[in-house]
Formats: sequence, structure tokens, C-alpha cells
Amino acid sequence: MIKVTNLTKKYGSFTALHSIDLEIGDGEFIAVLGPSGCGKTTLLKLLAGFMGPTEGTIAMDDLVLASTKRVLPPEKRNIGMVFQSFALWPHMTVAEHVKFPLSYHPNKIKEGKNELQERINRVLKLVGLNELANRYPSELSGGQKQRVALARAIAPLPNLLLMDEPLSALDVELRMEMRKEIQKLHRETKASIVFVTHDQGEALAIADKIVVMNQGRIEQIAPPEVLYTRPETEFVATFVGKCNLVKGQWQNDRFVPAIDLKNVWPDLGVADSFKESGIYPVRPEQFLLMPEKSDGLQGIVSFVQYQGHEIHYTVEVGEESWTIHDSVFASRFNTGDFVGISLKNAPVQKASLVSN
Amino acid sequence: MTVKQPMVEERKEGDSSFSLFFQKKNLYKGIGLLAISVFFLLPVLRLVWLSFVDDGSLTLQYYKEVLREPATWNTVQNTLIIVAGSTILALVLGVLFSWIVAYVQLSGKRAMQLFIFLPFIIPSYITTLAWTQFFSASGPVTAVLSWLPGSLEAPNLYSMGGIILLLGISHYPLVYLFTVNVFRKIPRELEEAAATSGLSKKQAFRKVVLPLALPGIASGGLIAFLSNLDNFGIPAFLGTPANIRVLSTYIYEQVVGFGPSAFSRAAVLSVILGIIALLGTVLQWFLLRRSRVNETNRSDSTPRIYLSAGKQKLLEASLWIFLLVTSLMPLITMGALSLISAYGVPFNLENLSLRNYEYVFLTDSKPISALTNSLQLAFFTMLVCLVLGTAMAYLRFKYPDWSTKVAELFMTIPFALPGTVFALCMIFMWLEPVPGWNPGIYGTVWILFIAYATRFLVLQVRGSYTAFLQIDPSMEEAARISGAAGWVKWRRILLPLLFPGILSGALLVFLMALTELTVSSLLWSSGSETIGVVIFGYEQAGYSTYSTAFSTVLVLGILLGGGLFMLLGNIWDRKVLKNK
Repeated sequence: MIKVTNLTKKYGSFTALHSIDLEIGDGEFIAVLGPSGCGKTTLLKLLAGFMGPTEGTIAMDDLVLASTKRVLPPEKRNIGMVFQSFALWPHMTVAEHVKFPLSYHPNKIKEGKNELQERINRVLKLVGLNELANRYPSELSGGQKQRVALARAIAPLPNLLLMDEPLSALDVELRMEMRKEIQKLHRETKASIVFVTHDQGEALAIADKIVVMNQGRIEQIAPPEVLYTRPETEFVATFVGKCNLVKGQWQNDRFVPAIDLKNVWPDLGVADSFKESGIYPVRPEQFLLMPEKSDGLQGIVSFVQYQGHEIHYTVEVGEESWTIHDSVFASRFNTGDFVGISLKNAPVQKASLVSN
Repeated sequence: MTVKQPMVEERKEGDSSFSLFFQKKNLYKGIGLLAISVFFLLPVLRLVWLSFVDDGSLTLQYYKEVLREPATWNTVQNTLIIVAGSTILALVLGVLFSWIVAYVQLSGKRAMQLFIFLPFIIPSYITTLAWTQFFSASGPVTAVLSWLPGSLEAPNLYSMGGIILLLGISHYPLVYLFTVNVFRKIPRELEEAAATSGLSKKQAFRKVVLPLALPGIASGGLIAFLSNLDNFGIPAFLGTPANIRVLSTYIYEQVVGFGPSAFSRAAVLSVILGIIALLGTVLQWFLLRRSRVNETNRSDSTPRIYLSAGKQKLLEASLWIFLLVTSLMPLITMGALSLISAYGVPFNLENLSLRNYEYVFLTDSKPISALTNSLQLAFFTMLVCLVLGTAMAYLRFKYPDWSTKVAELFMTIPFALPGTVFALCMIFMWLEPVPGWNPGIYGTVWILFIAYATRFLVLQVRGSYTAFLQIDPSMEEAARISGAAGWVKWRRILLPLLFPGILSGALLVFLMALTELTVSSLLWSSGSETIGVVIFGYEQAGYSTYSTAFSTVLVLGILLGGGLFMLLGNIWDRKVLKNK
């Protein structure tokens, strides 16, 4: 288990990380999600040991990896890492990439040559590169390079596998395929994984648990579905769920939007923090659009964007403009149409929806 | 200067500034900078100091004396005319070639580049020697002109015009080097945007391309200006017989003249030369004051101008004629004329012999010992620069703060100074490193070694630094994650990737040290002659045939070495880095 306690990192007067606390269980797959500059890369570099913390500690099981007094260098940590740019060495073959950590990593193969060769073959087979063992990086496609980077990272069977936006250099199709590949490797190696990304779709799809970061602080730690349906902060609501933050008044379990007091919305699982600040975070697909002169909040459609599987409307309601997604099978609206807006009768979301 | 663990370094940066380590780090920086300034900055300060001192008291006497002489003003005037003329020539040729190579569709651009660089790797005094042979009575130019009607004569190279021509030809590759990538980095969309806004090709060139290329042109021009000002070989070979002096040769004459106040007068002239160099730098700054360079633009080397097949052939042919005539023909002429038995006899079969080679390499003992000296000096200079320069480049790369920037700036001084001025600095510094103590460095081969190492170190620093910049930091990080630290990391990952860049820096240092003339001509002593000094000596004594023979061997050696280097580079790229 990795335990991060009160971790702070300052660059001069700039604080990149504000006392972070985080626990990573054995075999857990954690995605660290946030916009660029949120401190996620700093966290990863601290976990890897490329730099030391200004305050706080990082411990792996009972071993302190980093404190303000002592920092165990990356070459002595039992970790693997996949880099954004793959970081393949142009002068080594695929097999040599896998062999390298097996010769120098703290978990290196101490037995004979046969065991070494056997492990190399096993790892290459796992990532599907056994046919390409003698190729050089310049002779590989993007997806194959990614597989080499993965193979090199998992070869010494590290306790902790760090991934720094590993899919961002690939095109969309390949990214979907590699997501599955990474999930498969996670199942087979049972290593703990910390996967850094700025793509919320990727984080939701792949991780057991998501850590959302913003401006050097952790906003929320939760499993994907809880994070999506029950955001606890405005940042998580807008960054992960693309929510519209509707202002109004909470009266027990009922919400009255400030724009039109005749409407009353039921609580479909809104976190207490929003109830205190008088906000209802509504995801675009939670809204129900109705024809002119129907009940609900009155709005006017200002933009219509056809997306194939759904339609994205921008609707002006009072002073605000809301994003509303509707099915292509629902009744259509055009720019300039007057519409009534209400909430879909969605099931109530509870925190216990997904067991932790 | 020790290489610290980077991680420890970064960790401590955030610590309180009163911690012991922080103070220690500043201590290291201080000691390092102090050592560097002793070697690189102090010599210059001592030169300036000496120009103001007489018998231990401050005086302006030498300035008054030197500035009152008409010879000084005559020399300054010559210098300004020659430097201005040759800089303009180098700029015109360099910009023209870089624009054509960057934008126009031509075949054989790679081969053209090689020929453009040829005058750059052949030392300028040998180029001069080759050109004098080219225009000599037995050379091809005279032969061609005598065929033509009328009594045409080959132009006299021993003149202002000749000096300007050779300086221009020798230094336009520098301008080319600085501008060709600037042209390539100007996005073609900018020209297209100008065209859609209604500008003609010519207007677009004047209003869009030229202003954007100006920074590159100005830095190329500055380098050409400084090189022209610094050059000693060309004005010494061509100007001395015609009694044309420029500052660099005048300083040399003062020092070898050994008058009672020779060193002080030379120091004053050096300060004047330094001021002219500084004025050029200020002018460049003034030109570039308002320009903004976008460094992130990608280099785009696909042609932008397509000519009709006929026009393209014509352009290619004229470029090749120019390149062959200016770079290869003089060298071939020199090689051929080194085979004739006596200077001035016509070039035909009965006059051919290897007598000159026999004299240079068997009868006279100096060339062989000079060759040995220069090879040894160049080798050890390269070795020292390789280690220190690469270490400096690594520090500069890893810790890009003010201290490493200042250190690099100091290291640039000896290379940026005119050679004669730098040689004087070396004399003043190492004659008595501590006033009153003469360890006997001046007058031995050691002063040459120290001078070469300090002058050329910056070349290795730049070369290695560029090599470091070109490898992604994640290469090193991936090695450390895989458990490799220290020597294993360097041997298995970093050195194989850095090798080509570091090696090309080292070879440049080797080549510069091997054929150095300016600094050596003031610092050599009996027994420590270098190649340049011996060729210069032959030329001054009027033995042109001997100097051409020695130079021909040298040129062949350089070309062979250059060819080997390119071959090695290609093999390394293919076999080790697996580039295609």
C-alpha cells in the first residue's frame, strides 16, 4: 500500500501541491484527473522520486520513500513508469528494452540466463510483441511503441506502476484499444496503478477510483460512477459531468430555481455542499426539453449542434445559457425556438450506489 | 565542479535559504565562477590594465603616443574599409545562397551545402595561398586570359580588393549557416497570407520574408564582421607584401618588433580593435531591437519556388560554376603548382617533380616537427575540451540558472576576441600569472596549449549543449525508473545518444586547433612551431612552392578526415541509432 501524507511541493514561491493525502491500496487502479497545471504531474514525479517533497512523506508499505530529510532515488524504488512520449531508447531493440530493467531494477532477475530469456518472452507475449522482439523503435508504429513502453514498465513486476498521460500521443481509435490493453495488464500483473490524465472520459472508463485535482488540491476522491453522479464540488461537477450550475433555494429535499419560483425540482442525489450554497448541478442529459407554452422554466434555443447519437442545444434561460443534450429520437428544436425546461424523471442517486 | 544528484538539488531548492546545503551550493557556484573568471576573464582585464600602466603608475601616455601617429589612423581606415567591404560581400553571397537553397526547387542541394562549407573547414590562409596560385603567372586564370584578345591581366590579389574578396569568400558560409534555417522557419502560410491580401511575390518578400529573416541575417552579418576583423592570415599573406596593414597585422608587427614599449603599444591597439568589435555588436543590437523571433516554428525545407526545367538547369549550372571556381579550383591549382620545380616556371610535364615535397618532408626538419606539435596540441586540446566542455554543458543543461549562464558567457570571451588580441591577453596572463612569479610557461608549448584550450572550449560547450538539448529528459528518467543510475545510465543510455553531437563538437575543436595561425603566430617559440606558423614562415621568406606543397598535404588530410567523419556519422546513425 502507498500512503501519501501531507505532501506539499513548492517551486520557489509557487505552490504546486497543497498538503495532499492519498492512499493507494494493493492492486488498485487510480486515475489522477485534472486540467493542465493542476499538480498531477508534480504528484507523479514525487511518487517516481525525480524530486523530493517540500513537506510531507510518501511511504510504500513500511518503507518511507520520501520525506523532507531523505528521498529514495527512482532507481531504488520498486516502481515502473510509462511516459507520455514513450521515451523509447532509439539504439535498443524491443527485447533489449524489456531486458534493461530486468538487469538493473531492484526486482532484477538474479537467476540464470534462461530465466531472464523466459521472462522477456513472457512479457513480450503479454503485450503481443513476441513477433517484433528484434525491431528497433524507428521500425514500430505508435501503438507498438506504446506496447514496448508498457512492457518495459511491467517487466520487473513493480509494486507501483506510474502512467503519465500514456495515451495522449495516440489517435482516437488506438486510444480505445490501448485502454483495454492497460486494463488487461492490470488484471494480469495485479500492480497498483496511478494513471495521470486530463481526459475525463478516459479516467471514468479505466479506473477503480478517480482523484480529481485542481490548483494543487484534491477536489474529490471517488469511484467513477459516484464521481459522475454525485459530484461534491463545483469544479468536479463542471469538469467531470459538464454540469450546469443552477442557482436557487434548497427547501429540505426540494429545489426552487431562482429564475422561476413556480418550479420545484426533486433531489436526485445532490451533495450536501451544494445544498448549503444553494446550487443544483444539472448534467446536460438530465434536462428535459418541452415545446413552447409548456410548463417549466422558459428559455430560447440559441445554438443547435448535431452530434450523431445526440443533439447539443444551447438554451438561454434568463441571464444564463445552459447546455442541454437530448436524444436524436426526441422531438427536435431549431435556433430561436421557445422551449420549456424541466428535469427528467431520473432515478435518485445515492452515495451508496457503488460500493467503495 | 562536481555533478550533484539532480533530485537532491531540486529538493533543496525549496528549503529554507538558511540551510547548510544552500550555503554550500552557493559556495560551489562561487568557487566555480571564480576559477572560470581567472582563466577566461582575467586575461582580458590584465590587457586593458596594461594599456593604462607605465612603470606601475597610471598613465595615458601610450594612448597619446599611438593615437598621434598617422600610421595608426591609416591602419584603422584600412581596417574599416576592408571589414565593411568583405562583410557586405559575405552577406550578399551568404543570404543569396541561403535563400536559394531554402526556397527554390533544385537538385543536389546536399552536395551544394558540402561545397559551401568547404572554404569554412579549410583554414583561410591556405585558401589565400590557393587563390594566389590560381591568379599567379603559371595559373589557369592567366592562361585563359592570354587566349582572349586584348592584353588582359589577372587581377592583383595583393591589394585591398584582393583582401576583401578572400575575406568575403572565406566567411560567407558563416552567413549562410546563420540564415538558411531562419528562411526555412518562416512559415509559408505567412507568404500565402500576404498573397491573398493582394501582395505580389516581390512585395511579399520585401514586407514579410525580409523583416522576419532580419534577425538571422543580422547575426550572420555580425559573425562575418567579427571574423573579418579577427582574421590575420588573409591580410598577413596578401597585405604585407603590398604594405597594406590592418589592425590585426599591425598588432602582430608591434609584438614581433619587440620595441621597448611594444607590448604596451600593442595593448592600446588591441583596445581600439576591441572597441570596433564592440561597435559592431551594438549596431547589431540596434538593428534587432524591435524584432521578435518565434523560436517554436518548425523548419520547413520543401521548396516554395518552382522554376521551369530550363531555368532550373541554368540556375543549378551557374551555382555549381560559382562553387567550383571559388572553392575547388584554387585548391586543385595549388596542388598542381606544388608539383612544379621552381616558382614562376610554366606548368608542363618537364617541370613536374616532387622536389618541393622532398624538401618539405625530408630535407627541412621543421614541417615534420610542426605537424607533430600541431597534432599533439590539437589532440590534447580536444581531449581537455571534450571532458570540461561536456561537463559544463551538462551543468548548463541541468541547472539553467544565472551562474551557468554567466560561466558560459565568460567562456565565450576568448573565442569572440580577435586572435591577436587574445594572444596578447595570454602573454600578459601567463608570463607572470602572479605578478613577480614567472613559472616559464611563456616560451614553451604550454602557452599554446593553454591558449587553444581556453579559446576553443566554448565550441565544445555549445556542441555538447546542443546534443543534450536534443535528447528528451524522459530518456534519462526511463533509465532511472528501470534501475540504472550513475555510470550504467551514462554508458548504456546517455552516451550512445549524445555521441554524434559531442563528437562533432570535438572534431571542430581538433580542426580549429590543428590549423590555428593567428594565436600561434604570437605565442610560438623555437621548438614549438605549429603547422600555421611554418606555412606562414615559408610564405614570408618567399618560398611559395614549399608552402603550397605543405598546404596541399594538409588539405588532403582535412578532406580525408572530414570524409571519414561523415561516414562514421552515417554509420552511427544507421547502426546505433537506427535512424532511417
